[in-house]
Amino acid sequence: MNKRQITLTVNGRDHEVWVAPSDTLLDVLHDELGLADVRYGCGEGVCGTCTVLLDGEPVNGCLTLAVQAAGHQVTTLRGLMGPGEAMHPLQECFLRRGASQCGFCTPGMILTSLDLVRRSVGQGQGRPSRDEIRYALVGNLCRCTGYTKILDAVEEYADMAAES
Amino acid sequence: MTTADPQTRSAYKVVGTSPAHHDFVDKVKGSLHYAADWQLPGMLHGRIVRSPLPSARITGIDVTAARALPGVAAVLTAADVPSNQIVERASGGLAELEVTMPVLAADRVRYMGEPVAVVAAATPQIAHEAAELVVVDYEELPGVFDVTSARADGAPRVHDVGNTLVSWQIHCGDVAGALAAADVVVEGEYRSQHVEHAYLEPEAGVGWLENGVLTLRVSTQVIEHAAMIAHILGLPQSKVRVIAAYMGGGFGGKEDMTVEAYLALLVWHTRRPVRMIWDRQESLVASTKRHPFIMRYRTGADRDGTITAQQVEILGDAGAYPNLSPRVLFAAAACACGPYRVPNASITSTAVFTNNVPASAFRGFGAMQIVLGYESQLDELAARLGLSRTELRERNFLVKGDLLPTGERLDTCVEVAQTMHRALALLGEPPRPSGPGKLTGRGIGCNRHPYGRTIWFRDRASAWLSLQADGTLLIRSGVTDLGAGQAASLCQIAAEVLGAPLDDISIYIGDSALNPPAGGTFATRQLYMSGNAVLHAAQELRDRMAPVAADLLGASADDLEFADGRVRAETGEVSITLAELAAACDKRAISTAHLSTWRAEAGSFDPRTGQGDTFPDYTYGTHAADVEVDVETGQVTVLRYAACHDVGRAINPMRVQGQIQGGAMQGLGYALTEDMAIEDGYVQAALFANYLIPNAQDFPDVLVDIVESGEGKGPLGARGIGEPPIGNVAATIASAIQDAIGVRPDRLPMTPERILALLDERRQT
Amino acid sequence: MVAPAFEYVAAGSYDEAVRLLAENGDEAKILAGGQSLMPMLNLRLAHPDLLIDINPADQRPPTLENEMLRLPALTRHRVLLEHDLVRQHCPLLAEAVRHVGNVRVRNRGTIAGSLAHADPTSEIGCCALATGARILARGPDGERTVPASDLFAGYWSTTLDPAQIITDVLIPAARSRQGWSFQEMVRRTSDFAIVAVAVIFNLAERSGAPASATVALAGVADRVVLADSELVDDDPEQTAARIADTLDPPDDVHASGAYRRRLVRVLTARALREASARAAL
Repeated sequence: MNKRQITLTVNGRDHEVWVAPSDTLLDVLHDELGLADVRYGCGEGVCGTCTVLLDGEPVNGCLTLAVQAAGHQVTTLRGLMGPGEAMHPLQECFLRRGASQCGFCTPGMILTSLDLVRRSVGQGQGRPSRDEIRYALVGNLCRCTGYTKILDAVEEYADMAAES
Repeated sequence: MTTADPQTRSAYKVVGTSPAHHDFVDKVKGSLHYAADWQLPGMLHGRIVRSPLPSARITGIDVTAARALPGVAAVLTAADVPSNQIVERASGGLAELEVTMPVLAADRVRYMGEPVAVVAAATPQIAHEAAELVVVDYEELPGVFDVTSARADGAPRVHDVGNTLVSWQIHCGDVAGALAAADVVVEGEYRSQHVEHAYLEPEAGVGWLENGVLTLRVSTQVIEHAAMIAHILGLPQSKVRVIAAYMGGGFGGKEDMTVEAYLALLVWHTRRPVRMIWDRQESLVASTKRHPFIMRYRTGADRDGTITAQQVEILGDAGAYPNLSPRVLFAAAACACGPYRVPNASITSTAVFTNNVPASAFRGFGAMQIVLGYESQLDELAARLGLSRTELRERNFLVKGDLLPTGERLDTCVEVAQTMHRALALLGEPPRPSGPGKLTGRGIGCNRHPYGRTIWFRDRASAWLSLQADGTLLIRSGVTDLGAGQAASLCQIAAEVLGAPLDDISIYIGDSALNPPAGGTFATRQLYMSGNAVLHAAQELRDRMAPVAADLLGASADDLEFADGRVRAETGEVSITLAELAAACDKRAISTAHLSTWRAEAGSFDPRTGQGDTFPDYTYGTHAADVEVDVETGQVTVLRYAACHDVGRAINPMRVQGQIQGGAMQGLGYALTEDMAIEDGYVQAALFANYLIPNAQDFPDVLVDIVESGEGKGPLGARGIGEPPIGNVAATIASAIQDAIGVRPDRLPMTPERILALLDERRQT
Repeated sequence: MVAPAFEYVAAGSYDEAVRLLAENGDEAKILAGGQSLMPMLNLRLAHPDLLIDINPADQRPPTLENEMLRLPALTRHRVLLEHDLVRQHCPLLAEAVRHVGNVRVRNRGTIAGSLAHADPTSEIGCCALATGARILARGPDGERTVPASDLFAGYWSTTLDPAQIITDVLIPAARSRQGWSFQEMVRRTSDFAIVAVAVIFNLAERSGAPASATVALAGVADRVVLADSELVDDDPEQTAARIADTLDPPDDVHASGAYRRRLVRVLTARALREASARAAL
C-alpha cells in the first residue's frame, strides 16, 4: 500500500499531506492536521461528530476518503471564525443560549445548522421553522442538552440571518 | 419560537445569573482538546483484544504472529500485568463478596468483550491487524444470563464464591402485620433493561512517561484511580499521575476505569507514549451498563389512601464483575419508597452476577430505576381506591421532620407537592387526539433522588484559591468536568464571594499531581462538595484579607463589598482594586492563597438492621407528560413534557435548565426506545445505528420550572441536579400511557410492539 | 475502527469503471456515495483490495424524456428530495427519500448505490418496485435493462453481475388519475424502516374507477417485495390482510416478525386509502 501526496484545502489554507488511499478525511484532518474540531464518534455516519463542509455541504468525515477531498474546499468549525478568533454569530448564539454542555456534538451541530439557514434564506424561503431545524439536525446526536437550547440558538441565528 | 431564557431572580450578583464562560467558550469555538486530541512524538496506538464469548475457559494464547508484525511494539497478556487484579469493595466493606476483576483475563472469560490481551503499534491500522493476529483458544463453559437463573440451585457459577454479590436489607415497623391489616394491597412486578451511556465521545486517553512518572491524560470522572493504577503496575503512588481531560459526556460510564490500566501497561512496557480510543461498537459491547432491575412490590394502604406498608424486592443484574454494583443496589434500597411516608417497610436489594456485560454507574444509579416501581404502585393504588393520582400522592408526601425507613429524619424541606403542581401547570390543557385510532393520556411521576455520597464514606473535597498580584484569581481543584459546568460553577461561586470578574478567573482541574483532591464527579456530589469547598475557601480567604482592605479604606471589616474587581466600603465612595489589596496583603506578609477542605457530615449504617445514615439529602421533583397512542401500531408520541425540581438554589439557572432537559431526554430514551439487548450473553445491538438514543425530532422540548427552596446542603442552599431529572421519566410516560389506554406497561422500554400487546390484552378483557 | 487497507483509483467514465472492474474482479468495489460501503469498511466487514471511485464519471442532472424520469446513477438523495422534476414526476420517491439517512448521508448517497446495496429495509428499493422502475446497467458485454422486480436477489444482493455498473434508473412519470402513498414505521425518526409500504394507485383513465394498484414493501423479508397483483382489489383492508398473510417477516432486535406482519396490514391499508384519495384529486 503506497502513500500518495495530496493537497487538502482546509478552512481556506492548502496543506500538503501524505495519505494512504484508505485514510478517511476524518483521520487526516484530526491526526495529520491536528484539527480537534472534527471528531470520531461512531464510524457509521450516524452521530455527526465528524461533520465537515465539503464544498459547502455537510458530509461525514468518517465516510469520505481523504483522497476524495483533494481539490475540494473543506471547512471545519474553526473555519467559520474571523480574525483574532472572532466568533461567527451562530457560535455566539450557541454560547449565549447554553446550547453546548460537553461540547462534543457542537461543531457538527453548528456546521449543519449553518448550512440549513444559508440554503433556506439563500433560496428565498425565509428562515427555517423549528420543525425544519429539527429535521435537519436528526443526524447530529446530542446526549447532554435534550436539543432544546440548540434549537433555540439556531432559531435566534436564523432570525438574524433572515433580517439581514 | 424559542423557549424563554431563565429569569434572574437572585439576591446574588453572579450566582443566580447565567453567564456563558470558561470551557463553554472553547466548546463553541471548537478549540477544546478532549482526551483523543493529544499527540506526542513517537506515539503508539493501543488496542484491546476482547473475548467473543460470554463464558469460557482460556486454554491458550498465541501472540507470536502478532508480535512479529512489523510496526508492533508490544503485545501483552495477563502474565505481563504485575498485579492483575482490581478489587473494588464498593460497599465500603459492609457486606459484599470480595471478587477480583483481572485487568487482562488469565484463565477464564466471564462476559462477551472481556479484555484478554492488549497491543501497541505504530499506526491504528497495524494495531488492528495485530489484534486480529492474536490467537486465543477458548473452551466454552455454561453461563447464566439472567438474575433468576443465576440464583437457582445448581446454577453455573460466574465466580467460585457464588452468584449473589450483595444483598441489602432495610426493615422498619411490622410489614407483615400492616399488609395483613391493610384495606387494600397492590402487587406489581416491573422490569427494566440494560442501557448504554452513549456519550458522544468514546472512551479515550493518551499515556506517557515524564521524569519517571507514568502520566495518563484520559476522559475520566475519577482521577483517584491513580492509586489503583499504581497498584496494578506495582509502582509507588507518587509515580502515577492522572489528568482528566474535559469529557465529551460521562454519565457514570467513565466513573470506573476504562482505558487507564491498558494505557498504563503499554506505556510502562514500551516506554513510549500510547494513545487508545475505543471504537463506538467496542464501547457498546463492552463498556459498563445500567443495571437491569426486577422490582417486586406489595403496597398496603388504608381506604383513605394512606400508605401503611411497602414490601419491596429488588434484583439487579450486576453482570460478570462487581464494579459499583453494591452501591447501586444500596441506593435503590434507600429510595425504594420514594418521596412518601411509609411507616412499615421491608426492602431487600440484591446484586446478582451473570455472564452479561458488567453493570455499574449510570446517571441515577439505582435510585433512578426504582422510580418506576414506586410510582407505578401509587398510580395503581389510586385507581383501586378511586382517588386521583395527585390526591393520593399529596396524602402521602414526606415533609421535613419525617422519618425514612432507615430511621433517618429528613432535615431539609420537601417541596415535592409544589413541583407536582408546577409541572402540571406547565402542561396546560390536555390535548385532543389527532384523529381516529388515536388515544391521548396524561401522566405524572414524582421522585426523591439523593445527592452527595453515601454518608459512611466520609466524603471530603479540597480547593485552593489564589488572588494573584494583578488581581486575577486562580482556582485549583481536583474536580473533573463532564460537561455540566463542574468547573465553571466553581468560578461563579468564587466570583460571587471575592468579586473577581469571571474573565479574571482561571481554573485548573482534574490533575492528581497538581490539584488538591476533590473526589470524583459522580453521585451528584460536585456542587455539594467542591462547591462548598470553593465557597468556604473563598470566604476564608476574604475573611483573612478583609482587615487589610478595611484598614486601607478606613472602614470596618464587616462593611465591605467585594464586587466587579474592587473592594469598597458599603458606606462611602472609596474603593480599591483586588490588585491593590493583593499588594497590601503581600506587604503585610499575609498570604493571598488559601486551601480549604470541606467535609460532609459523617455517619454510619448497620447493614444487618438496615438502620442508620444513608445519604446527606435529596432532590425532589415531578415530571408530567401528555402522550398519544396509535392503537393500530402501538406507537407512542409524546406531545408535551414538563419537569419541575426543587434545586435549592440555582447557581447558574441556564445550566440547571440544561441538566433537567438533558436528563429528561435521556430518560425518554430509556423509557421508549433504548435497549442494549443481550441474548445468552451476546450483545444484539452492536451498531450505533441500532442503539436508539433520542434525536432532535423524536421528542418535544422539555418545559422546565425550578423551585428554589434554599434549604439544600450545597453552597448557598443548593441541591444537586445532575442525576435527579432522569429518574421521573419512565414512570411519567407509563402513567400517561395508562391514562390513554387503560393498561399500564410494566416493562421497559415501552416499545410499540409491547403497547400493542397491552392493547390486545385490554380488548380481550 | 479502521478500514482494512485498500488501493484507490478514480474512474472518469462508466466505461473506464467497467474496465477496471473487469481487470480486478472480486477484489474491487465501486465507490459511489460511500454511505453504505464505507461503514462496512470502517467496521472491517469487507476487505476489498481496490475501490473504484465513480463520482467523477457522471455529472448529469435528472431529465424527463418520453414520460420517463431518467435518474443518472449518481443522483444524490438530496437531489431526489429537492429537484423539481422528481417532486413533480415521481412524488412517491421524493417523499420516501425524506426518510433516508440524514443531511450528510443524503448529500453523498446515490440512487444507484442504494439499489445496488439492496438493503431489505430500503425505502428507495421499495419505491423502485412500486413505480415499475427499470435499471440500466453496463458491463463488459454491453448494456442491459433490468426491471426493478427482477433486481433484488436476497440479503444485500442483486441479480446484477459483479462486473456490471448501474448507469441510469428510469421511472415512469406519474400520470393523471394516479395517486401515491408512502407509509413507514420507524422506532426513531430517520432510522432503518421497521416496515415501509409504497403504493401507486391507478384509476381508469376514462371512467375514473379504481383500476390497479402496485404495492411494494420493505422490512418484511430478505429483500424488498412487490406484492402479487392478484392480491390487490379495491378493498384496502382485505388487500392488506391478504398481502400480510403471504409474508413471514424475520425477527430482529427492533421488532418481531409477528409485529411486522401486523404493521403490514395497518400500513398497507393506510397507503391504499391515501393513494386512492390522491388519485381522485
